[in-house]
Parts: sequence; C-alpha cells; structure tokens
Amino acid sequence: MVDFLDELEACIPALRRYARALTRDADHADDLVQDCLERAIARRGLFRPRGPLRPWLFTILTNLHRNARRTARRRGDAVNIDIIPEIGTPASQPGHLALVELDRAIGTLPLDQKEALLLVTIEGLAYAEAAAILGIPTGTLMSRLGRARASLRSLTGASHEPHLRTVK
Amino acid sequence: MSGITQDVLMAYLDGQLDAEARAEVDARLVADPDLAQDLAQLQRQSDAIRTLYGPVASEPVPARLSPHRIALEQSRRQWRGVARAAMIVALLGIGMAAGWLVRPASEAPALYNRLIADAVSAHTVYVSENRHAVEVPGAEAEHLSTWLSNRLATDLAMPDLAGSGLAFLGGRLLPAPAVPGGRAAQLMYEDSTGERVTLYITPSSGIDGPTLETLRLGDDNVLYWANDFVTCTIVGPQDPQRLQALADSVFAQLTPSAPAVEYREL
Repeated sequence: MVDFLDELEACIPALRRYARALTRDADHADDLVQDCLERAIARRGLFRPRGPLRPWLFTILTNLHRNARRTARRRGDAVNIDIIPEIGTPASQPGHLALVELDRAIGTLPLDQKEALLLVTIEGLAYAEAAAILGIPTGTLMSRLGRARASLRSLTGASHEPHLRTVK
Repeated sequence: MSGITQDVLMAYLDGQLDAEARAEVDARLVADPDLAQDLAQLQRQSDAIRTLYGPVASEPVPARLSPHRIALEQSRRQWRGVARAAMIVALLGIGMAAGWLVRPASEAPALYNRLIADAVSAHTVYVSENRHAVEVPGAEAEHLSTWLSNRLATDLAMPDLAGSGLAFLGGRLLPAPAVPGGRAAQLMYEDSTGERVTLYITPSSGIDGPTLETLRLGDDNVLYWANDFVTCTIVGPQDPQRLQALADSVFAQLTPSAPAVEYREL
C-alpha cells in the first residue's frame, strides 16, 4: 500500500507535465492529475494492471481529459486560444515568442494528434507504449504523430526557426 | 531522401530504431543534406516542445496532489460513509420502533372515531322515523337479544332503562362501515317527551381506543365506551351528565358475561 503510494508519487511530475501540455492551463491540469490519482488510489487492487504504474496512470489521465473536454463541449465553454498559459520559461529568454506561438499551435491540434505527439516527445515513450496507452495500433500512432508534426511545422512557419535553435 | 520515409526519419528522431536501422539512417544523412535538414527541423520542433512543457515536471508539487493525503482522505470518506450508513440504519430502527410503539395511538383513533361517526349517522337517520324506527320492537326483547348476540358473535342483553325514564323501542342490525365486514346493533329508547336515545354496539375485537370518551356532535351528545367485548356509542340530546348516568346503567346490563367491575376501597 505504502509502496503503491510512493510509486504513484514518483509519477506525479510526469503526469503534471503531460496534463499541462494537454490542457495548457495549470489549474485545470492539476485538477486532472488529482482526479487521476484519486481514481488510481480508489481502484488499486481492482483494476491495477501488473507491471509499472506509469502507463496505467497515463491512460487514466488521457481518458479523464477526453471526458472533461466532452463535458465542456456539451456545456458550450468557449476555448480562448489567446489565453497564454504559464510556460515555465523566463520571458526574456530568446525564442520566447516562438515558444508562445508553438504553444498556441499545439493548442489547435486535434486531440488525438496532440496526445500522440505529447506522449512521444515530452514523455519520451516508445511508440508501442504510447500506442498501448491510447488504445491504438502503433501504425495509427505514427500517422497521428506525423500529421501533428507536419501541422506544427506549417502553423509555426519557418521564420521563427532561428529563435528555436537558441533554446536547445 | 531516397529509401528513407518520413516515418523512418521520425522513428530515428524518437529513438525507436534498432542499431542496424540507425546506422542505415546515419549513412543516408551524411549523403543527403536535404534529409539532414528535415531531421534538424524535426529535432528543433521536438526540442521546443520539451522546452515548453518540460519545466512543469520540476515545479513543486501542490499538497493536494500527495497520494498519501488522497489515500487518507479516501479512507476517511469511506469510514464517514460507513458511519453514515450505520446512522441511517439506526435511525430507521428507531423510527420503526417508534412507529410500532405509537401504533395504537396513530391507527385506532381513526377507527373508533369512525365508529362514533357511524353511530351518529345511524342515530340521525332512524330517530326521525316513526313507524319504522326499529326493525324488531322492544316487546320482543328476548328475541332481539338472541338475534343480535348471534350476529355480533357476542353475548348481548337489552338494557332496561325504565329507571331512567326511558322506554325500550327496539333495535335493528346495521352494517358497521368502519370495520371491514363489520356489523353493529342499534338499540333505541324514548323518554316521556319523545326524545330518543340510541345505543350503537359493535364487537370490540380489533378496536383499540379509549374506554370512555364524550363529545358533542351537532345537536346531540355522544358517549363512547368500550370493554373487552363490545364498544357502545350512546347518542342523544341529553346533557353530558345525564348521558353519563344513562351509560352507567347501560354498562351494568349490556354484557352480562363481562366480569363485574371491581371497586377498590379507598
């Protein structure tokens, strides 16, 4: 039990990162992570798969996020893409503007492409692992990933690339 | 980018290729500047995304996300739930017990009150009749006694109230609507001025109520009384004191099989 909670705790930074990227809203992201943890703790023993916790938690979080978005759409909440979330980078850093633009561009991606892109790039998951989390074949994951990257490239344009180079 | 698809390039970028495939791509990259350019662009994009969101993972974690705290709260909630369920069961038990205890008070009054109402209705209907006020005349008291005793399945005597100035006119069998399938006997008496008094008698089984109650309904006074065998509702225009005196006389005679009232010496 304590081991389980400690293992869970170790996954929190990654969950928050993924949630923040998905929602681009710090409070909403932490709400999602909290829901995810509550669900995981309430259902340990019932649904916990064998093996590492991490993929299971990412699956829960992904589903919670999809559900929340569906609910928000039913309620008709407007999504204002001009609201710039905290991005964890000092404003003075070169390339900041390009990052803001990239953040907005990611916000406009279809959800299935965004999930695939974030799990692979930010979380560094293997294709097979990311595909399992999303419940899709690896081929589908790769095509979503490819489309996401192509969209971002055309959305951010080439002019900002020199700035991006500086943030490596 | 001959031979290297976008998917393979992407897999190379994301570290998904085995050593052999990697070496093949490495070789192509050296030979193909366009391919290298493509890869560089993808690389910059991925780096930018990681720069954008990576720092979130090193932010301090809010206390509300502590799994230990969440687990503690959940087990507390669980116990609160158990406690609440236990409380509901306890309250339900108390409620049922209370309901059981107050059962006579909440149920029977309705029944004996309806009996009284029926008695008053029957009184009002039949005292105004002259020729058909009764079904069996008082002259046949013996027959009436046997007949009504049979119908009501209890031992009834026709009280003689001549001592109180009342002549026995006779009686009839009536339905007792308050009791399912119930029957009632109505006995009628008349004084020298033509004022009439009726007794409305039913078996008392299943009727829990006060043993004595008086009330006024319209022009008539009502006295309700019950013993182990019968209920008797006396309805007449007499004042309550006179009705009470009549009642004493009636009760002494009505149920001969009832044990005599025992008086305690003061």
